[in-house]
Amino acid sequence: MAYELMSGSQAAAVAVQRVGVDLVAAYPITPQTAIVETLANFEGRGELGGEFVSVESEYAALACSYGAAAAGARVFTATASHGLAYMHEMIHWCSGARVPIVMVNVNRTIGAPWSLDPDQGDSLSQRDTGWMQIYCSGAQEVLDTVMQAFLLSEELLLPCMVVFDGFYISHTYEAVDVPDLEKARAFIGPPTFAAQVQPEKPANIHALITGDMQADLVRSRHKTMLRAPAVFKEINQRFAETFGRSYGVIDSVMPPGTKRVIFAAGATAETVRWTLPELEETGMVQLRMFRPFPREDICNLFEAHDIEQVVVVDRNCSTGMGGILAQELQAAIYGMEKPPAVKDLILAGGIDLTPDMLIRAMTETASVDKVEQKWGVDLR
Amino acid sequence: MRIEELNQESEMLNPGHNACPGCGAALAVRYLTRALGPNLAIVLTASCWSIIAGMPPLTALKCPILHCPFPSAGSVGSGVRRGLNAKGQHDTTVVVLAGDGGTFDIGLQALSGAAQRNEDYLFVCYDNEAYMNTGMQTSSATPFGARTNTAPYPLFKEGQKKDIMQIMAAHGIPYAATATVAFPEDMEKKLKKAQEIRGFRFMHILSPCPPGWGTDSSDTIHLSRLAVNTGFFPLYEIVNGVSWKMTCQPEGKRTPLKEYLQNQRRFKQMEDIRIEALQEEVDHDWEALLEKIEATKCSD
Amino acid sequence: MLPDITTQKPVYAYGTESSAVNKTGEWRFLTPERVPGLSPCRQGCLLDGEVPAWLEAVKREQWEEAWQIMSRNNPFPALTGYTCFHPCTENCNRSELDSGIDIPSVEKAIGLWRLDQYKPGRHRDLLKDEIAVIGSGPAGLSCAYYLNRAGYRVTVYEKSDQIGGMLTLGIPEYRLPRSILNKELNLLKEEGVEFVTGCEIGQDLSLDDLYEKYSEVFLAPGAWKSRKAGIPGEESRGVWNALDFLSEFNSGRQPEVTDPVIVIGGGNAAIDSARSALRMNGINHVTLVYRRSRAEMPAYQPEVEAAENEGVELIFNALPGKIETVDGKISGAEFNYSKTNRQGLAVDKTSSFHKSCGTLIMALGQEQDSSIFSSLEKDVSFYAGGDLVTGPATVSEAIRAGRIAAEAMIARLENLPEPELCLPLEDPVSFEDLYLEASVNLDIKDQQEMPEKEASRCLGCGTCNSCGICYLFCPDMAIDIVDGRYELNMDYCKGCGICYRECPSRALVLKGGK
Repeated sequence: MAYELMSGSQAAAVAVQRVGVDLVAAYPITPQTAIVETLANFEGRGELGGEFVSVESEYAALACSYGAAAAGARVFTATASHGLAYMHEMIHWCSGARVPIVMVNVNRTIGAPWSLDPDQGDSLSQRDTGWMQIYCSGAQEVLDTVMQAFLLSEELLLPCMVVFDGFYISHTYEAVDVPDLEKARAFIGPPTFAAQVQPEKPANIHALITGDMQADLVRSRHKTMLRAPAVFKEINQRFAETFGRSYGVIDSVMPPGTKRVIFAAGATAETVRWTLPELEETGMVQLRMFRPFPREDICNLFEAHDIEQVVVVDRNCSTGMGGILAQELQAAIYGMEKPPAVKDLILAGGIDLTPDMLIRAMTETASVDKVEQKWGVDLR
Repeated sequence: MRIEELNQESEMLNPGHNACPGCGAALAVRYLTRALGPNLAIVLTASCWSIIAGMPPLTALKCPILHCPFPSAGSVGSGVRRGLNAKGQHDTTVVVLAGDGGTFDIGLQALSGAAQRNEDYLFVCYDNEAYMNTGMQTSSATPFGARTNTAPYPLFKEGQKKDIMQIMAAHGIPYAATATVAFPEDMEKKLKKAQEIRGFRFMHILSPCPPGWGTDSSDTIHLSRLAVNTGFFPLYEIVNGVSWKMTCQPEGKRTPLKEYLQNQRRFKQMEDIRIEALQEEVDHDWEALLEKIEATKCSD
Repeated sequence: MLPDITTQKPVYAYGTESSAVNKTGEWRFLTPERVPGLSPCRQGCLLDGEVPAWLEAVKREQWEEAWQIMSRNNPFPALTGYTCFHPCTENCNRSELDSGIDIPSVEKAIGLWRLDQYKPGRHRDLLKDEIAVIGSGPAGLSCAYYLNRAGYRVTVYEKSDQIGGMLTLGIPEYRLPRSILNKELNLLKEEGVEFVTGCEIGQDLSLDDLYEKYSEVFLAPGAWKSRKAGIPGEESRGVWNALDFLSEFNSGRQPEVTDPVIVIGGGNAAIDSARSALRMNGINHVTLVYRRSRAEMPAYQPEVEAAENEGVELIFNALPGKIETVDGKISGAEFNYSKTNRQGLAVDKTSSFHKSCGTLIMALGQEQDSSIFSSLEKDVSFYAGGDLVTGPATVSEAIRAGRIAAEAMIARLENLPEPELCLPLEDPVSFEDLYLEASVNLDIKDQQEMPEKEASRCLGCGTCNSCGICYLFCPDMAIDIVDGRYELNMDYCKGCGICYRECPSRALVLKGGK
């Protein structure tokens, strides 16, 4: 184990360097800038393995990545917030095009007005675009997940977003075990997925098709993505064998007697872990893979422990409906024999969740009867 | 190029494509792919050619076509070039194909970014002077005075046609050239020359559109020729952004612009005062072009 | 280990099948078609020759094809290349651009190719009828060629001991090289035509005899009776008629001719005589006297100029009044001036001049000798052509007559409909009608040595000459290249009309419907 002190953003960049990419096309945006700068540094020292190019917008970054991936190259890019929103058309395009791309999105609120604080709404509002999404709660997790994302994406031929909170993770430092370069390169291997653009086999690629053909493609995409949890587990098994760590599509802590569960993704999950011993009959589920939503894993877990209530920590708010994770969870548990009641703790705008706030929230939401939304602003 | 040397084996455009009868863009891409093929990859953004390329399982060209969203042509091209290089396929020519919309308007940012980075591919804009695929709406490439479906009579296109060549020159790219379908020899020469150059290259090809311009489908070549002979669309090239050269000049005096405008329904009700204004503009631009050519003449 | 997902085909939209399955020809409501217009060269051609068509074949270096087209109307391009006066060339539209096409040179090239390279063998079919041709001049030879090609057994009867008629006896070597003529005649023999020389019909054999033996007879004895001037002294020694003089000269025998020589007449025979005489040993001065003006001379003007350049003295508006002799041999002649007026020719007897000469050659024209018919007793209709029918005319016209007669005979013998004779009456394609904007085959300026290159300068004028402009400008890939020709593909043609619009030759029309 070789530990280095680094921020979440640096960890993401190091992961990319460990993997060995052909192209990084990137555009800077707070709070992701350290990623692109670290990668540029790697290229400067000849350690990146591929090219780094500063493009003129986030849209261009993803478009360039798409072009290179279609030619069979391994690509990476990173963005946040407004940049992600700007790329929206391309994000759809890439998943429909079935090209493997790994993109880090550092959560940040989308204006108006301007705001730099983390809000998961930027990545969550892209949930319908057909990308896989994995949320990380610390720098080590970021490094490991980014590495794994390349394998996941290239096996399923679907693009994958690795997401973590701006500032709380991107700008805070941890001791991170950095895998040995050769070991990492050997583990990941070179890109072997088929290029779409092949002059020897000319094809009219991603051209206009009928609604009928489109329906088939959408279904195929959907079914492919549903295989992600199984593939992810297999990757993590091998990762554990090589690097000694593994993660699940969800990670849970269920002390004996757990009746209530706190459900969180990202940096807040870390806070929940810390606070858990001070709560009674409470367990926690850290949601890691958001797309595809791990319905089966979650339902099985709730059933096994006969969970009565779930408090969802939502660092986001879909205006007019409420926290997105809560909605997704409610949809996922629909059909359970005894679905737990879902309470939504909305922390939109990036306000920090302190253990204190969490305890108060859990107390105030103890009653089982109503589905309830609670606002973090009220808990400060 | 001698006609008798042309053979069907080198043609990369398949028959049976669904371009409108008399389509200038179909002809432009026919010449382009024939000149640059067969080791060719095309990046194609939303435009008439997105549809002409065919609906899967069909394809209209004998080379790969990668479709991409409307604003992204310049950027996707950068990616494809770099990706192919990463895969060791340095010999494949990459051509980014966009209409005037995907070049002058929504695609301008990507074009500028790629040009500034001197990305190593050929960007070809086939210009039918409006958003023809979606039904003839105004673009910044629409000439002054023309009527379109978003500027229907008594409205008309108010600004002048954007001078994309000057924009490209300002980026200092290695090679930029204009061409049109009535002068296939000139076009082919430029394409082949561009193919040999490394760095960002740009071609602006005027492609008459019978339904959009309101002309007979048989007039495509005739109009393309008139566009050159009136000086409305001069045929020239710019090297490194600093050296201008005329490649094909009408013999004798330029034809009056009116002759070019009169057979196109999009200019049908153009008021005389505007025709004069446009003629003045064309004359002025022509003189300015000649001056630049004179001023940047090389001694070789 | 999970199954290798990368080997499974990704499901995204792509097309690899050519759009050629889509027959866009269904879209058409106008169809381009090659409908030949009348080229001015064709209009002028005395043989109905499809001039642009064989020029185009030569351009593509398809010599056999060129010969096939040529021989539809003219079996002897080597001969006509030398002897025809080529009104086609005068009409050529290209002369309004740089210089007209040198049609004779390409015609000669085809003829020479035919003589040197093309040996089709004998055609004579024992099961087909026997036909007699009287006269081995161009009309007879042409008729014999076409009949023989169709398999008929042809025998040509010739009065003199040499075959060829005017070609051999009338036209001098410098106009028609003997080697070429002989090759042509021998080829006819090789292909199966039989010749009987020294046999005069009406003397040695009668027409009735011929009609007994042969299914058909073609009369082409020509017009050999020389006209007389009707002036005293015409029978003196040293006075020749042009035909006799030329026969002697062309046979290789040296006619008795003394310097200086005067030739009377203004036709081609006169010029031939003058130029032939000048080539003889001991002849230094030849004068040609014509009773009308230079512009009114029936002779081919380039020949007149050639004669002048060679040193022949030309005197116009004069005619001989009296021939002077010494000891029965001509010593000179007295001439009066003449003038063309409304009544015809006015001779001024008051003004005269004298010229001495050693030889006088009368080239006043020939007349038909209809005595051949006097020997016919049966009541038959017959085929006839050439100078016998028209009076003295040209080799080309005679060849045409022979072909038409052959076609008619074949039609009658085989019970086929009579062949059409005339070209449609329409205006020929003028230079202004052509569309030369594309400037494609205009880069070769001025006449070229190589026949293929010269032929490539032809503008087509109403017919397709495979310039390739249609192929170049077709947006729909609806034109195929087949053996150097450009074929319209109706499976894909959308009827846009660009080919029609851009065709330099105006060879295409747009018709309504599919």
